[in-house]
Amino acid sequence: MLDQVTSIVSGFSLFWEYKAVMLPGLWYNFLVFFLVVIFGVILGLLFATMRLNTNIAIRGIATFYIGLFRNAPEYVTLVWFLYVPALALNKLFESNISFDPLVVAVMALSLSAGAFYAEIFRAGILSVPKGHIEAARATGMSRTLTLRRIILPQAIRQMLPEFFNECVSVFKGTTLVSLVMVPDLVYGVNLVSSYTGQALPLYTGIALIYFFIVFLMTSVAEKLSNPWRNKAS
Amino acid sequence: MTTPINTTDRNVVVKVVDLHKTFGTLEVLKGISLDVHEGDVLTLLGASGSGQTPLLRCLNYLEQPTSGETYIDGRPLGFQIDTAGRRTKASQNSINALRMEIGMVFQQFNLWPHMTAFENIIEAPLRVKNLAKSEVESLATELLERVELLDKKDEYPARLSGGQQQRVAIARALAMKPRVMLFDEPTSSLDPELIGEVLGVMRSLAEDGTTMIVVTHEIGFAREVSDRVVLLHNGGIEEDGSPGEVIDNPQSARSKQFFSSILH
Repeated sequence: MLDQVTSIVSGFSLFWEYKAVMLPGLWYNFLVFFLVVIFGVILGLLFATMRLNTNIAIRGIATFYIGLFRNAPEYVTLVWFLYVPALALNKLFESNISFDPLVVAVMALSLSAGAFYAEIFRAGILSVPKGHIEAARATGMSRTLTLRRIILPQAIRQMLPEFFNECVSVFKGTTLVSLVMVPDLVYGVNLVSSYTGQALPLYTGIALIYFFIVFLMTSVAEKLSNPWRNKAS
Repeated sequence: MTTPINTTDRNVVVKVVDLHKTFGTLEVLKGISLDVHEGDVLTLLGASGSGQTPLLRCLNYLEQPTSGETYIDGRPLGFQIDTAGRRTKASQNSINALRMEIGMVFQQFNLWPHMTAFENIIEAPLRVKNLAKSEVESLATELLERVELLDKKDEYPARLSGGQQQRVAIARALAMKPRVMLFDEPTSSLDPELIGEVLGVMRSLAEDGTTMIVVTHEIGFAREVSDRVVLLHNGGIEEDGSPGEVIDNPQSARSKQFFSSILH
């Protein structure tokens, strides 16, 4: 019994021992997270406005994109983009190219996140009553000014909690990159675990690390959205 | 020495020529023509669904008329005539520019909830007219004083009663110094005890010579305040005249029936 406890405790010390291998992996998680949030938000804004467009073709493209990526598991999207385009190109041109897993991972996860962000933004924009928009237009405000001054400030308040939820999902989703050879923290732990045979403390350790980071993010998000939510109505 | 004002001598602020509006297969406006002169208070009466609200909304292009013409101060709204005499659709910029001349007050107030009463009023003069901040702020203060809500200037709409919200909405529309004020059933969603304060503000505007077009079901207000009453029925003008003529001495059987049903 005591032996086992010692082995677990010493197992945790493995983290310290192998920090040079594992901790840089965490930076990959953060790098992917920031890039996916940035690209995802850009895609989300683009497709949300497209989906609200009066042109049926533009609306159709956005609906197709959102439907496709919201309903595909992120891992499948990731693997598909890593192998299928390269395979197709190689077959067509008898070449031997492959894409950088990190670039593909960021692209695939951004496309997935973009679909979710688009729906969050769309719902936020639609939550603004039509009358508020008409009141703005009736004073002579242009479409852009109405969007900036009347629609977005209200829509952002409405969508903030959902937006932060999606950001947390994106962060959790970054661990998927370990499955396509991007050396993130999970990848590092897989490596060390198979080398040392100490799976229990290592996987418990990263579970705690991820829990702590996500918990911190959620608390910060709540702090950030509160002043917005308390103002007015 | 006072001489009665001849209406034809005063400027026509709003001119409507044969306006039609169709929603799908339903024609809600069937050829409305109206001239509203400077300083006139025109009340649009009629049973619900007779076309008053669509007419008012066509007058600032929130609703696009199916055919017909509207002129604000002689300037065409929503269309232009090119040198060859062809009628083309106006640019969004020219519609926006003309909308600055038309104040609108809505049944549901439609104050912007993320701005205080004061911010609601200064928003459009500041951002649409690009006036100096100090000028706009003193104008807003003046207007809030006028609607007797200066003490509520920093309140958000959610903390104001319906009557207070509607008075702020009136001040917001006035802040653009429009040539004409449109009121779309401004008291219809108010509790009975709050109607008076809004009608009071409107009465004082009328006394100051504001050109107003009012859709309302308040017959008392129409009789006392308006210079002219137009009764709509089924998308067309049924009666048009002074309050005395239209309300107290309607001509058609239909109008007689309308007034007897609401006046008993």
